[in-house]
Amino acid sequence: MWHDALLVAGKDLRIEVRSRVALWQVVPFAFLVLVLLALAIGPDQASLRHAAPGIFWVALLFSTVLAIQRSVAVESGEGTRDGLRLSGIDPAGIFLGKAAAVGLQLLALQLVLWAGVTFLFDVRVHVVWLAVTASLLATIGLAAAGVLYGALSAGLRVRDTLLPLLVLPVLAPVLLAGSKVWEAALSGSVSSGTQWLKILVPFAVIYLVVGIVLYGPLQEAT
Amino acid sequence: MSYVDAGYAVALTTLLVYAVSLILRRRRWERALRVSEAPATGGHDAPARGERS
Amino acid sequence: MSTPVLRPSRPRWLDAVGALGVVALGLTVWLGLWVTPPDAVQGNLARLLYIHPPIATVALYWVGIVAAGGSLLYLWPRTRSLFWDRLAASAVEVGAVFAALTLVTGSLWGRPAWGTWWTWDARLTSTALLLLLEIGYLALRRVPADPAVRARRCAVAALLIAVDIPLVHFSVDWWNTLHQGGTFIDPGFKIHASASMSWTFLLAFVAFSLIFVWLLGVRYQVEVLQDAVGDQELEVSLAERWSEDTELVGADLVGQAPAPGGGAP
Repeated sequence: MWHDALLVAGKDLRIEVRSRVALWQVVPFAFLVLVLLALAIGPDQASLRHAAPGIFWVALLFSTVLAIQRSVAVESGEGTRDGLRLSGIDPAGIFLGKAAAVGLQLLALQLVLWAGVTFLFDVRVHVVWLAVTASLLATIGLAAAGVLYGALSAGLRVRDTLLPLLVLPVLAPVLLAGSKVWEAALSGSVSSGTQWLKILVPFAVIYLVVGIVLYGPLQEAT
Repeated sequence: MSYVDAGYAVALTTLLVYAVSLILRRRRWERALRVSEAPATGGHDAPARGERS
Repeated sequence: MSTPVLRPSRPRWLDAVGALGVVALGLTVWLGLWVTPPDAVQGNLARLLYIHPPIATVALYWVGIVAAGGSLLYLWPRTRSLFWDRLAASAVEVGAVFAALTLVTGSLWGRPAWGTWWTWDARLTSTALLLLLEIGYLALRRVPADPAVRARRCAVAALLIAVDIPLVHFSVDWWNTLHQGGTFIDPGFKIHASASMSWTFLLAFVAFSLIFVWLLGVRYQVEVLQDAVGDQELEVSLAERWSEDTELVGADLVGQAPAPGGGAP
């Protein structure tokens, strides 16, 4: 399973490196969300600084949906999915591989978003390890849940409207916990931060396990 | 380095890098054009394949 | 409607413009950094005004005129020519570089001047949005398509951007004004200009404009070359198909009626 996962992850990442869709479309989109939210919340510097953690995570969540769409689209060519199924690669491996590829892209995106939020909203992360840990944990959960729901909506014509609708509510706990951890990281209150970190752990674990178990059957069904 | 120096440095460097990249791209595509205009048998050796840049 | 054979040219005047631009820019830097006096109010920080406003002018106005104008001229049947499409696309790419530079130089000026790297004022916000939209345009341009289809699509996209940016600028301006309670003081560039400063300022505008023209020209040449290579490869593969005596499936090759030499509608 792990060998297959590496294979699939490598393939997805190589496609991304060659097409650079994440770089030139997802990253600008994330920044666009930052700008739009800034416009929505108002020109008052204080409100913006206060909202910065939430804005980071909302931008990340919306970008995750795009990244998942892309991950699914990579295999939407004629017969590609069937080919993958018939190739004998362990479906759990496919799941892990795709999740790993998406996860890596999301981590890179978060680095950029972090810089963007710091710059655009005039905030500073004081407890760096809190923010980093939150990002790592959350990314696992986002990638796992995302790829799973991506597979769910894969063959459907309404995939583009259905996927966001399905996956965003599921990702809400990550948004919630992540924002709270970031608030703590910005203000320096470590204890409240670690509380919220604890939510991210079961989320990641649950969706990893569910994904490993259900991805294969899902592929059969679509 | 002062903000002023940084500003001048960034602006000049960026423009220089971009200008050089354009010249290199032009050269690459000129070469590709020459190669693809060669007789049909040699036509497949066009180096610039795939992504446009 | 596309030109039968693209013959990319290397006009002498373009290189002359480039050389002149480099000289003017060098002169600007020398004058701006060393010869001109520091401003009475802003001190040495004012030296950034020899590069930030000219770059912003290029990014917002020159680029806008060429990209929007070119797109309009392409869409207008009387003046339709892929020349305008290629020119507009080149302007957008060069424009993205200048927009990014505008933001960076603006922040470098803003940090010591206002105490913050970024502020959500009308100018910066609309420039940021412009950069994002330009990246979107360039992504759109990379989608493989028949040149005429691509040109029409991109022309419309460019015009929509040209309409959107002033709207955004105006709304954000109003948004800021209302928030400030009506007495909105433009955090602008208030300097007390001496003679040498004014001349340097003017020279800076000329220098960056010349550089823009040169970059635009070279980028245009690259665009023409790319299309020429594309056409050439198309010719070659079509010729090969004919000579192989197989059924010509030209339709799935380029999505148009089979015809050697590919006449685009």
